Amino acid sequence: MKTPGTGPARGRIFGPGVAEDVDRELRFHLELRARELVEEGWEPGEAVREAARLFGDVEGVARACRTITERQIRAERRMGMWDAIRQDVRYGLRTLSRAPEFALIGMLTLGLGIGANTAVFSVVDNVLLAPLPYEESGDIVWMRERNTRGGAMAVAWPNFVDWREQAGSFEALAAYGSGATTVLGAEQPLVARVTWTTADLWSVFRARPAMGRLTGTDDHLSGAEPVGVVSERFWRNELSSAPLGDLFLEVSGVRARIVGVAADGFDFPSGTDVWLPVDEASQGMSRSSHNWDTVARLRPGTALPAATAEMQALTLRLVEGSDDDPEFLATGVVLRTLHEQIVGDARRTLLLLLGAAGLVLLMACTNLASTLLARGATRSRELAVWASLGAERGRIARQLLTESALLALAGTAVGLVIAALVLRGLRALGPESIPRLGEVAIDGTVVAFAVGTAFLTVLVFGLLPARRLSRPDAGAALREGGRGVAADRRAGIWRLLVGGEVSLALVLLVGSGLVVRSFQNLLQEDVGFDAADVTTLALSLSPAKYPTAAEHADWYRRFVDEVRSTPGVSAAGFISSVPLQGDFPNARLELDGDLDKHAVGGYALADAGVFQALDVPLLAGRLFDDRDGPDGAHVAVVSESFAEEYWPGENPIGRSVTGGGMDEFWQDRRFAEVVGVVGDVRFRGLARESEPTVYFPYMQRPSRTQYSAYVVVETAGEVGALAPALRATLARMDPDVPPRITPLEESVRASVAPQRFTMMLLGGFAALALALAGAGIYGVVSYQVAQRTREMGIRLALGGSPSSVRRMVVGQSLTVVALGLGVGVSAVLLGGGVMGALLHGVAPTDPVSLTLAVVVLAGAAALAAWIPAARGTRVDPMVTMRAE
Amino acid sequence: MTDTSMELLKGTLDILILKTLSRGALHGYGISRYLREQTRETFDVQEGALYPALRRLEARGLLESRWDSTDTGRQAKFYSLTPDGEAELERGVASWKSYVTAMAQVLGGARA
Repeated sequence: MKTPGTGPARGRIFGPGVAEDVDRELRFHLELRARELVEEGWEPGEAVREAARLFGDVEGVARACRTITERQIRAERRMGMWDAIRQDVRYGLRTLSRAPEFALIGMLTLGLGIGANTAVFSVVDNVLLAPLPYEESGDIVWMRERNTRGGAMAVAWPNFVDWREQAGSFEALAAYGSGATTVLGAEQPLVARVTWTTADLWSVFRARPAMGRLTGTDDHLSGAEPVGVVSERFWRNELSSAPLGDLFLEVSGVRARIVGVAADGFDFPSGTDVWLPVDEASQGMSRSSHNWDTVARLRPGTALPAATAEMQALTLRLVEGSDDDPEFLATGVVLRTLHEQIVGDARRTLLLLLGAAGLVLLMACTNLASTLLARGATRSRELAVWASLGAERGRIARQLLTESALLALAGTAVGLVIAALVLRGLRALGPESIPRLGEVAIDGTVVAFAVGTAFLTVLVFGLLPARRLSRPDAGAALREGGRGVAADRRAGIWRLLVGGEVSLALVLLVGSGLVVRSFQNLLQEDVGFDAADVTTLALSLSPAKYPTAAEHADWYRRFVDEVRSTPGVSAAGFISSVPLQGDFPNARLELDGDLDKHAVGGYALADAGVFQALDVPLLAGRLFDDRDGPDGAHVAVVSESFAEEYWPGENPIGRSVTGGGMDEFWQDRRFAEVVGVVGDVRFRGLARESEPTVYFPYMQRPSRTQYSAYVVVETAGEVGALAPALRATLARMDPDVPPRITPLEESVRASVAPQRFTMMLLGGFAALALALAGAGIYGVVSYQVAQRTREMGIRLALGGSPSSVRRMVVGQSLTVVALGLGVGVSAVLLGGGVMGALLHGVAPTDPVSLTLAVVVLAGAAALAAWIPAARGTRVDPMVTMRAE
Repeated sequence: MTDTSMELLKGTLDILILKTLSRGALHGYGISRYLREQTRETFDVQEGALYPALRRLEARGLLESRWDSTDTGRQAKFYSLTPDGEAELERGVASWKSYVTAMAQVLGGARA
């Protein structure tokens, strides 16, 4: 028996349902079987029953049949879907490759947006948002005393001791002090970061040793064997991972046995190489002598405000009745989470950068949206043809969706590559002022966010053309090729997109302009000295070898003499603080032989040579000379601003000043006669005004030479040859002093590293924004020109000159650009304040930056509009008209 | 049913169906009747068991089906072999033959 037709069994899917299919088939069998039995002579009723008996469990068979067939249908559908997707992707790739310009621009635009955001947000997430790498790190707080001006000042030892005994808010409270000091006992003498701390530090951080043990309470008792703990990094790099037990380091003349290595990743205070126990018994008991920082761990369940309130009250009680000068007593505490303390100033910069990156992403999406719209419009004809050939709307939408997804995917890939590159750059260039920058890696959450945004943009604007087809006048698209009402609506959306893009770009351009201007201002600041050809040496002598301040001073005098006689050296001198480095003590001094007449001024030890080396001008009187030795009459030199502030309109020469609490002549309030006035020098940083300063000859008041000593050298010619000569001199005079040689210009550069970092990044974003805005306008105008070739052809044919037509097209675009600029300018004027704190010597609404940004952006926009317009009008009008 | 009826070996029904359909498309009842006649009711099998087997073979792509008119003008579901089904039949027949030969050798040898 031959059945007609051998095609696939489609009836099953489009005909009756599975259940009915099964029922009919089984019923057919039972009926024919019963008829067969009747023919064999069965009673009709009996025959039906017998047929069922022979068949078996009818309902069970039916169920089994249904299950098998349903499963088969589902499997076929899955296969069909994959086939369809494969087909869509193939077709999509072909379509995109036919419009490579569009695909490339879309991919790059998305890639830049995603890349910039991923990189910057990864930094923000790691630096600002991620918790510190310690157990329950949210409970760790940083605490200082509050001074009379409401600021934070270091903690006095007796206050710390009383806090530790009486405070109920903390599980542990530790005092520590940290500094760069000469360490002997490693492979060579070196300067390492040493932190003296109470044993509680380890409990505060719940730190554990990687090897050996950490220091405990017993190690802090007077007479205990000196011990220390080193960081994992220091142990590996400087101690060659030598076994503990017989490992000693000498710091400040004390030979400490290294009993442990802190776990890798424990880095507090940041950069510490060696932790040594504080000798608790020998600490001064003055409540007005502030030398310590403290960290603490809150008791579980204790909130920061509650702890602050307790410490505030406790501290006020402690200083009550103190005989010390109230100017130097605590007025309370400053308490914040350690995380906040560490992140500090970096927060504002990073948030600004994040905002800029966000604007770039927004622009990228806007740009993409307008590109997709333009493309959708060009394709509306193609889609209309599909629709008229009977393609289902869902099928068209799926095709568009696939193409959009392909674009988003490619953009994401580009974006991740860009993010990785940017991040590498950030890690390399980022200043030390941004903590934890070195650990930053690409953040998964933000990748997801950026990719999500990109996909959403691509999907929404990629699908708009399909939506248009659903309207009853779909056929109209076919007839008019995308003009008419729909085109008008599209033009409206475009104006919005291009205008928005222009405003965003303006904001970014102004922002980066402001930062650049601010940076220029910073570099042009008169710092009061000339860093050219100047090299600084940071020095630190062993107190074991040179127990007294006088011995220190004497060594430095001999060293400076040696340096001065080095060939090529034109001037050299000693100073206790290097300009711009920020490490600059100030003191409350007494004036004019009167202990009740006070002044506040920076305190520095110096000699005459240092003023010559730094080209600090002598304005009146004389510099120090040989008369000003230990046995001579005490003298001082003051800065111009000191003289103006405390002796306004009077001659400062011959007046007198004390060193306040800074030196050994504090107790007997020994006055020094002012013999000279020099120009102001900025010690605290480029952006920080110089403060009134008093210089004393280091040979007369040598006390601080033990803690802070620099030799400043000016060369006549080659700076390069100097370093080896200085090293040789140093090795000859004391091989245990590690040489730390830095060109002063390098220090100046380093002091503006954070600003340079911000400037470079914002500048990059602004350039990106300019390019995106230009590309966006270019794309839209190109499309409009392409759509209006016929109209332009008519205009040209009717005698319009190409230039007038060009002017018309460009003019229409520039109207939108002008609107965008207006919105952008308003945004800057209203919201510029957020940048205020980051700027130096330039207002957030700086008219120069604003004007420049407007001009540059308007120029770029005009160019971006003119190029496609010119291309459009160069064609022969007859050709363009026939093309339709 | 006769005394010689025996249980149908697993998988045998599939080959019987494929063999039956190798002569041309047929509906379920036709297959069932043909098998009954050819085997003279040797196998003790419930007639209903045929239908899940048919659908399984179809799901495996060995059969295809369509609703069509019978000679008497009734609508019935006709099954026919696909090229895959034909190939499967060849394989099945070959393996059955070697199975049967092996069995015959062993059983014949034991008797001798």
